[in-house]
Amino acid sequence: MVASAKLVSSPMQPFLQVVEISKMFPGVQALDAVNVDIFPGEVHCWIGENGAGKSTLVKILAGSMTPSSGQIRISDEIQDISSPHHAQQLGLSFIFQELSVVNGLSVADNILLGNELSRGPLVLPKASFVRAKELLMRIGFGSLDPNRKVGQLSTAEKQAVMVARALNIDAKVIFMDETTSTLDRDEVENLFSVIRTLKSEGRSIVFISHRLNEVEKIADRITIFKDGGIVGTYNSGELSINGMIRKMVGRDIEHTFPTKNRTFGKSVLEVKNISTAKISNVNLAFQSGKITGIAGLVGSGRTELMSALFGLDRLTAGSISMGGELQRFRNCRDAIRAGIGLVPEDRRGQGIIGLRSVEENISITWAIGKPLRSWKRDSVVLAKKFISGLSIKTPSMGKQVGQLSGGNQQKCVVARWLAVAPGILLLDEPTRGIDVGAKAEMYQIIDQLAREGMAVVIVSSDLPELLGLADEIAVMREGLFMGMLGGDSSEEEVMSLAMGEVK
Amino acid sequence: MLSIVFRKLRSWGRVMRGNQLMASLFILFVLMLFFTMTSSRFLTWDNMQNVTRSTSSVVIVGSAVTLVMIARGLDLSVGSLLAASGVLAASIASHGTNLWLSYLAAIALGALFGALNGTLVVGFKVTPIIATLGTLNIARGMAYLVTPSAILVGLPSNWSDLGTGSFFQIPYPVIIAVVIALFFGWLLGRTVFGRHVYAIGGNEETARLSGVNIRKVIFLLYLMSGLATGIAAVVLTSRLGSGDPNIGVGFEFQVIVAVILGGTSLAGGEGRIAGTIVGALIVGFLGNGLNLIGVEPFWQYVAQGVALIAAVILDRFTRRERSEASVRREVNSKDNFDKTEDPKSIGNSASHQGEIS
Repeated sequence: MVASAKLVSSPMQPFLQVVEISKMFPGVQALDAVNVDIFPGEVHCWIGENGAGKSTLVKILAGSMTPSSGQIRISDEIQDISSPHHAQQLGLSFIFQELSVVNGLSVADNILLGNELSRGPLVLPKASFVRAKELLMRIGFGSLDPNRKVGQLSTAEKQAVMVARALNIDAKVIFMDETTSTLDRDEVENLFSVIRTLKSEGRSIVFISHRLNEVEKIADRITIFKDGGIVGTYNSGELSINGMIRKMVGRDIEHTFPTKNRTFGKSVLEVKNISTAKISNVNLAFQSGKITGIAGLVGSGRTELMSALFGLDRLTAGSISMGGELQRFRNCRDAIRAGIGLVPEDRRGQGIIGLRSVEENISITWAIGKPLRSWKRDSVVLAKKFISGLSIKTPSMGKQVGQLSGGNQQKCVVARWLAVAPGILLLDEPTRGIDVGAKAEMYQIIDQLAREGMAVVIVSSDLPELLGLADEIAVMREGLFMGMLGGDSSEEEVMSLAMGEVK
Repeated sequence: MLSIVFRKLRSWGRVMRGNQLMASLFILFVLMLFFTMTSSRFLTWDNMQNVTRSTSSVVIVGSAVTLVMIARGLDLSVGSLLAASGVLAASIASHGTNLWLSYLAAIALGALFGALNGTLVVGFKVTPIIATLGTLNIARGMAYLVTPSAILVGLPSNWSDLGTGSFFQIPYPVIIAVVIALFFGWLLGRTVFGRHVYAIGGNEETARLSGVNIRKVIFLLYLMSGLATGIAAVVLTSRLGSGDPNIGVGFEFQVIVAVILGGTSLAGGEGRIAGTIVGALIVGFLGNGLNLIGVEPFWQYVAQGVALIAAVILDRFTRRERSEASVRREVNSKDNFDKTEDPKSIGNSASHQGEIS
């Protein structure tokens, strides 16, 4: 299966070889004898559904986990990577989504962290500055002031700091694990040009992403992970995006989006000229049976609009009314009582209570104020109903939610709201970090809810998803409502509105 | 050699995680077995009565503090409050007032301090450790203010009935402790309120967004902790037969050791009252047993300190085992792994993953 074209044309030895690596956890085979070669100067993309084994392999290479069996060879020498520090010495550098930068230190200090330029115990600030500047120039971030505190930087700039740090220790392979998911379009482009620079210096990049169009754009080779094994390694161009999905999930996923022949009912919620600290002067109305999408770049006020609707942010102006009645939400409990539900953006941090059971996670909101005698029995009935209704895959309702897959976790969060039957459901990035199959199911659920007369509002960074689902799309930019587009608009139309380009 | 011990410890920890309560009971059993073999005076009806009687105040307060700690809070003020409430009751009773009225005053003072702690934590957003450290000192000061001339004696003759009497051989304090523990067990396991306590400890942000009235719940937890301390103060001072402002020094430590030995997670979100009872008994029997075999009392401090640290280390080990095991099943395994490095990060580790577009 291993692509032969590259091997034949280049006499090069792989820099890093993963040989028959397995990792067993009690009861689970996380990695099953996988083989991957990383050649100098290639961009090697790893893709696969969540839990396919990519992250486990990265952790093994980073020295934060030990493999159960197998070898790691670097420049044809067997290495036993014992610690993150050791991995670094061997020329492996890792950039994770949650960046390990020290916010309180300057850019230069961060870049040289652990390898400070010093004379005796004294750090040399001048030399450090020059060195940092030089490294930043090499990756096209020459305009970034090495004296700035890293805490003030954008995510993209922090990533640049991480890349510069990798360059400083002369890393041969740089792993980027889901680094683009928090970047906007331009920043991704920027990162790609950095990647090309690194590649031209003979460094290899292992790029892990769920965004297949990015993978298609940047990859030299693509390795596909599935269920702890490797489906195969392919040359870029050998696979279309659909081909990648097919290999990742082992089946065709077509017609993922439900048809949009829904009928709309009366207006459920209207906002007039609302402003908060983060958004200003937004006017919108949400109808029952309609799916309203909210588009915009990261930081455009999409999530903040949801927060305002859900009573989390204080309104500085404007009004919210539901069914013609003016509403004043002091907190989200008021909003919930009025019939609003929110599936929050950060599933793990805001959506689920990982340590608690499926049943508890489903019934938590419903149970508030229920009679002491019967609530527990009813809660079990309720959980059963939603586990089968939304086909939540769990061995039992007593299972800790944190142990379910992302898609099933998200279904529990949705079920929590369905249990209280809100008139309007706000979904903030409902499919983020869940795999392709679960996404399709989520789309069906959302469609079903709208058909049953709920007003649905969706925020998503994934434009095709938004266009596929929504009947109309409100576009936000810098806290302002830019306009409403039909659900049949093109990605370009939405983007140009979101980025403020004048047509 | 060391690595074998390590592995043994870890696999044992895994079993322990599987059934925390069984593990705590096992420790208690081993401890009792040891003291039974080393001292003939240990396993006697008198001694059992004696230990359970003196452990009852730890159980009473520990039950309430278990809830506080499950919700990721902490209450350090209980030891001093025990003294303040106790001397208040004694001083009122010494003036010839109705005994029950003096008990009520002690409980009311406990409630007052509980409400103060709750207000500081919820209303003024002072971290629990600082807020209750402050009230710890305030309560101790008040205890001395009530009885400037050391120990209060000359109490009515029936003062000690509650603390020393018994019902069919079962000491009253034990009965009170059981009732209180049953109440908190019920509250935690059977009520919506209990679910909210777990939810807040497991993920406060999720609980808030789910419509849980977090501020109310946390306030009530501190209030109940104060109330329970008031009750414990009555039981304890009645048993001691005097109003002593020096009692309860290090009591908060015993309570916290009991709660943690009982399996309540330091990171919040997990824990049971039954565990705390076993934890309290471990603390009680450890002190009593060491006493009986003639170990100097000061060593008891050392033993308790070791017990606390051992419990916490065990807690960490078992947590790591479990999260490694679940890595593969977890969606975003990276987040999960990070948790093992820092238990505090549970709940605020973000979970953004990319999307297929």
